Parts: sequence; C-alpha cells; structure tokens
Amino acid sequence: MHPALQGLITIIIGVGGCVGYFYFSNQFLDRILYPATGKNAGRNINRANQVRPWLFLAPALLALGLYLAYPVFATLWLSVTDRNAGGAFVGLANYRQMFDEPKFWEAVSNNMLWLIIVPAFSTAFGLLAAQLTDRIKWGNIAKSLIFMPMAISFVGAAVIWKLVYDTRPADQDQIGVLNAVWLGFDGGPMSVLILKIIPALILVIFAGFLAYSVIQIARSLLRGGFSHSATPWWGLVLRAGLALVAVWLVWVSLRSVVSLATVSLPYGEPQTWLTIPFWNSILLMVVLVWIQTGFAMVILSAALRGVPEETIEAAVIDGANPFQIFFKIKVPQIMGTIVVVWTTITIVVLKVFDIVFAMTNGQWETQVLANYMYDKLFRANDWGVGSASAMIIMLLVTPILVWNVINARKEMR
Amino acid sequence: MRKLFLTGVAATALTLGAAQAADLKFAPGEGNFNWDSYEALKATQLDGEQVTVFGPWLGPDQQNAEAVLAYFAEATGADVRYVGSDSFEQQVMVDAEAGSAANVSVFPQPGLAADMAKRGFLTPLADGTADWVKDNYAAGQSWVDLGTYAGPDGTKALYGFFYKVDVKSLVWYIPENFEDAGYEIPQSMEELKALTEQIAADGGTPWCIGLGSGAATGWPATDWVEDMMLRTQPPEVYDKWVSNEIKFDDPAVIGAIEEFGWFARNDKFVAGGAGTVASTDFRDSPKGLFSSPPQCYMHHQASFIPAFFPDGTKVGTDADFFYMPAYADKDLGKPVLGAGTVWGITKDSPGAQALIKFLQSPIAHEIWMAQKGFLTPYKAVNTDVFSDPTLKKMNDVLLGATTFRFDGSDLMPGGVGAGSFWTGMVDYTGGKSAEEVAATIQKSWDALK
Repeated sequence: MHPALQGLITIIIGVGGCVGYFYFSNQFLDRILYPATGKNAGRNINRANQVRPWLFLAPALLALGLYLAYPVFATLWLSVTDRNAGGAFVGLANYRQMFDEPKFWEAVSNNMLWLIIVPAFSTAFGLLAAQLTDRIKWGNIAKSLIFMPMAISFVGAAVIWKLVYDTRPADQDQIGVLNAVWLGFDGGPMSVLILKIIPALILVIFAGFLAYSVIQIARSLLRGGFSHSATPWWGLVLRAGLALVAVWLVWVSLRSVVSLATVSLPYGEPQTWLTIPFWNSILLMVVLVWIQTGFAMVILSAALRGVPEETIEAAVIDGANPFQIFFKIKVPQIMGTIVVVWTTITIVVLKVFDIVFAMTNGQWETQVLANYMYDKLFRANDWGVGSASAMIIMLLVTPILVWNVINARKEMR
Repeated sequence: MRKLFLTGVAATALTLGAAQAADLKFAPGEGNFNWDSYEALKATQLDGEQVTVFGPWLGPDQQNAEAVLAYFAEATGADVRYVGSDSFEQQVMVDAEAGSAANVSVFPQPGLAADMAKRGFLTPLADGTADWVKDNYAAGQSWVDLGTYAGPDGTKALYGFFYKVDVKSLVWYIPENFEDAGYEIPQSMEELKALTEQIAADGGTPWCIGLGSGAATGWPATDWVEDMMLRTQPPEVYDKWVSNEIKFDDPAVIGAIEEFGWFARNDKFVAGGAGTVASTDFRDSPKGLFSSPPQCYMHHQASFIPAFFPDGTKVGTDADFFYMPAYADKDLGKPVLGAGTVWGITKDSPGAQALIKFLQSPIAHEIWMAQKGFLTPYKAVNTDVFSDPTLKKMNDVLLGATTFRFDGSDLMPGGVGAGSFWTGMVDYTGGKSAEEVAATIQKSWDALK
C-alpha cells in the first residue's frame, strides 16, 4: 500500500477512534452503567458526572504516562544496568565511569558557561531591542528581522553560522564573513581601537555593572537579611550565591582586560575559529543568542507595553531621566516576565544539542551534555552511560522547570 | 461531485506511485556479464515476498545498489525494498531494539555487526557460506575472519557477508602537474617523503589533508595512521592493536601517529597550514589538487574520492592515483588497507537467505562493477565489465597486496573507532602530543570494559 494512503487511513481511524471513544463511553455511562431512569435516576446522574471526567481523561493520562513517565523510569533503570551483561544491575557503576571521563567534565563546564552567557545575553539584547523598537517608526520591521531567526531550525542556523566562521587557506579568497572582517585588520591604530580598546572598555563597563549589583545585593543582605525580612532563607542563599558568581565574573573580566592589553594578535592570518578552544564555545553560543533574542524581545516587548502609563508619567513629572525610567520604573515592573524569559531560555540551553552537533560535534573542547549523551548512546552504543548522562540533564532541568512553572502561574494570577 | 472527482484523482495518483516497474539497467543476455548466474537465480521463486534491505548508501550509491537488487527482484519475483540512511549506525540499533529491523542490513563497519551479533540481533548465514567465501574470494580467509562473530551464547559463526570493497591505500595526484614540475611517482615511502620535501623546497605545497566530516570529523586521519601502522609494523602488531592486545599508547602506535604527523603537522607540507587540517572538509580537501596553480600535489584518500572531484574530471587522465608505497628498508611487503560493507540478516526469512545467496552469484557483483565505485575480491567475476580502467587498476592494487588489512578504526569498538580515535586525531593535528592523545584514547577504551 502506498505510504500516503496508509497515512490517510491512519488519520481516519485515529480521528474516528477519538470521536467514537467519547461517543460510546458517554453512551455506556448514561445508558448502561448509570442510566438516568428508574428510581435511582438522581443518584445515577450524579455518579455518572463524577466518573465522566476521568473517563474522558483516561486516554490522555494513559498516553502521558506511556510517553512521559515510562521513559523517565526506563532511562533511570537503564542508567543502573549494563546492557552488555544482559541488563544486569550494576548500581552506580555507569555514573562512576562517567564521572571518571574528562569529556564529561568538559561537557559540564561548557554547559555551565552556556547557562551563564546565553540566557543573560539573549534576555539583555531582547530587552534592549524591545525598548528601542517601541519608540521608532520602523520598529516593527526591525522587530520582525530580529524575530526571524526564531523561524529557522537550529540545524539551519548552525549551517548559516558555519559559513560565517568558515576558513580557507591563506592564499584563497575567504568565504567566511568573520575571516573576511578579521583580514581587514592590519595592526594599525584602527585595529588597536576596535580589537583592544573597545573590548576593554566593554569589559570594564561589564565589571563595573556587576560590581554595582554586588554592592546592591550585599547592602540588601546586610540591611534586611537578619531581621524581619519577607524573603525566605533560600532567597537569601540564592542572592548570596549570585553575588559570589558576580564577584568571580568581575575578577575574570578584569583579568581579561589585562590579557587583552598584552596579547599579540595574529593579523593577516585567517583563523580557524571553530578550533580555538574556549572561544569556539563562545562562537557557538552566539548562534543560540542570535536565535533566542527574538523570543525574548517579543515577550518582553509585550510586558513593556503592559507597564501602566501613569507610573511612567509620574516619573517624568518627578524629573526622572530615560535611564532612571527604564531601570527603576519599567524593569522592576516586568521583573516577573524577565525571570520567565530567562528560565525558559535556560531550559533551551540545557537541552542544546543541534548547534554543537552540526558545527563541531563536541570536538575541540566544545562538548556539551546533550551531545555527550548522544555520543554515548548512539556512537559508543553505551546505553548505561548514555542514560546516566540523560538523568543528569533531567536533574539539572527539573528545578528550573518547576521554578519556571511557579513563576508563570504567579504571573497569571 | 467536485469533491468526489478530487478524491478519485488523489486515489489514482497514490496507486500509480506504488506500481512502478523495476527497470533493469543492462538487458539480460547482452554484454560480458555472467548471465548464466542470472538465469540460475530464476530457480528460486519468491513471488510476492517482501525483502527489506537497510543500508548506509544514499544518492548515486543508492541507485547503484537498487539497480543490483532489481535483478534479484526480477529473477525471483520478490518485492525488494532498499532504504538508506546517513545515520545508519544509530538507526540500525534502534530498529533492532524496537523489533522492526529490515530483513537484511548492510553494515559499513564490522565492529557494529559484531555488536549486533553478540546481542542476538543477527542470524548466522547458511551453512557452507564460510567455505564459499574462503574458496571464491581473494584472501578468502581474511574475509571469513572479518565476518565471523560471537553470538549471544558465545559460539562463533559467520554472520557477515562482504560485498562492495574499498581500497584505502591510495594517493591521488594530477599527472599533468607532476609532469610540469618533473616529479616522479614514488616507489617507496622514503621516496614519497623525499618528494614531499622536494615539493616544499620548490615552493609548492605537497599535500591536501582534510579531516572535516561533520559529526564524524577526524576519520580521514585514522586511515592515515592505519596505513602508517601497516608500513612501520608487521601485520600481527596491527591485529593486536585493533583488538587492544597492545595498548593504544604503545610506542608502536605512537610511532605510527607521529609518521602521520610528519606529513600533517608541518605547515610547509599541508595546504593552508597544519591548523586548517582538522577543519577542512574531506570533501573539499581534494579540490586543491585541481586549482591553478595547484594548492597541493597529492591527496591520500580511499577509492571513493573521485565522487568529490570537480565535475567532468576524467579519472585516469585528469587525475590519477598511485599506491601509497611501503618503506623499502622495512621489508613489510606491500600492505593494503581497505574497507567494505558487510551484509547481515537482521530478520530471518527465506527472502533474506535467498538475497545472501544472490550475492554469491557473479552477476550481483558485475552489475555494480559496470556502474561506479565498486571493487570486489570475488575471483569468478569478469573484470572486463568495469566501467572504467581506473577501477580495474584499483582492483589490481587489491590483488597485488601481500597483506590486506581492514580499516582498523572500523574494527575497534564504536566508542573508540568512531569516537575517541577521531577526536584524538583532531586534537593531535591541533597540537597535542601523540603520547597524550594515545593515552586519552586508551583510557576511553579501558572505560568500555
């Protein structure tokens, strides 16, 4: 039979089956099990109405259990067994083996980098784009351009960016945009300005911004931390943790400024961008930021429009400048949305696979967890370790997911 | 009425699609083919039985494979379906686990077939097949060994039938460029190295090397290392290396890796410099041969690579190959590295058995030989049917070998041969030391046990 015909028949059976299920289960309930006639009519109607929702939900519950709950437990089981030994229980051996592998830790640390950088930059750029495009005439066009990458699949985006990062030997024409730009630098004053002074300035500003937020957090901790604070203890711990991360980032960026000043750059040589450790991970993150900025922008733009005009007018009358209006009036009011956007992107990042798979396949120290899992499952045929890494990813995603759901529900209330 | 009409049209279109006649590429009875073996095939009748074949070939190779299978279908009346996938290695295991495997699967790696046999997903081939291979294939015993795996209960049996072979120990060059510069084809590894230095001294770039292959980046380097292994060590050491009886970080292996590094890690020897080796796509890499002035003079790659030469390239005149020579002073004969696809029965049926039987008839080989990209160790075929003389020359390389060894990375466990070995080679060309890389690979091998 032709596959299309098979598909058609499947659709007919599927849709017909659904309709039939609801129709006949209703019939069964109302006519046979609890008929709305005779002396027990009233009691029967009530009983039927109690059973009905469960009857209607049953197929969905069954399917959800089969497709969501069962795989989780099956994966958990696979992660503590050894397929080669006929599925024997081996306890935590797979996990131990995984923790012994440098490639796993490389994936974990890369994932951490992704988690810090991608949501931060996507949300920041999205917020910036949302704020700026709301004011200008051609804002809608700009918005649709920024949103467009969302319509491209991850693999498609990876292919596009692979061309951007493409390298040809020195004596050939470069087809990669980045190398074409790079070869434009010659070590002259413009190169120093663009490649050293401006990045250094950005880093200093970034460090300053972080230092400011550290001070703010420290102050709020000292002020309200020990007395009648409304925030629960874990909120304080979270803030303290964030502050520590920020301090570390300040240190890292200041150190980078120093190394930026002293490094001698290889002008005139085409670079194989995707093979330079550390920076290649950053270049891969750029792709995801490029995709996710549009998503952040659309949600945040809607939130910004929801900020009541009155508060802004009041601020204007009080003499606030645009920066104060943005950071002190608008941002606090849409904080909930920012958190939702941030966490949503975080979950996307934890699952990131396609970009790394298509661009470097985790080589040159760009491995991430999802790609590591794929490697183990399907290339090494090691189901135990593969399932173990799947469990790690799930463990990492779950708290963020729960938090995201809680936040989203708060927003809806 | 209109609706009815449209439905009718749709239904007709659907049924028409299903009923396509199997076209035979070469009319039976014509040409130098062994048509007797085709006629003999008609004794097996499989009318209406479906035989599914799952393999790694897509594009032109898929058409070639389907052209061969069409003869089987035509003679026996079976309904043969070939499905190709570029992620065969992943898919075949998933299908087998799910119980929806094809009747016959075509493995590009014996290691994977061995895994499947061990888990009980393969059916041993019919009795006598092993003897047939031993008697009818050149270097028959090595093909039998390569297709013999341990089953789920540990007993060894022939599970895999080799059909379609590649020769890897080839160096491609442009005869015209060699003539212009006055270079001779090297007869020994010493001469090859001297030629490499000579070209670099003359201001040219001797080699184009590219390891990029998307998710499989790194594999071309494994071919280099295996070729070097066969040229610096006796074949027994190679066998022990492949089975991990000697460790990956053994001096013998490190020596072979460094032999590869002699070529690939010298900025003057590689087009684009050593840094671009890992990131250049293997499909783009040979194009440097054809530019003017040439970006490089030589390219080490298997027999399939002409498929990626510029359109209209005539192999044999525009581009040619020579055998990657062995060291003259090492007395290791003429080793040849190769690979091939191995057919195994993943879901037993009379049709599947008959298909493996069909592969033992000369006609099954000759049909593909007459097309493109097919070499065979089958001695009974008529080599006159080769579509171009280059393929015949390659078959001669295969036949002229004193040692034939199968691609080692394909024989190693998947996690090494299609994992850490690839990554390790990428790291090595990126500047890590051979010792460090070899130790990492050995560690991943240990982790598999």
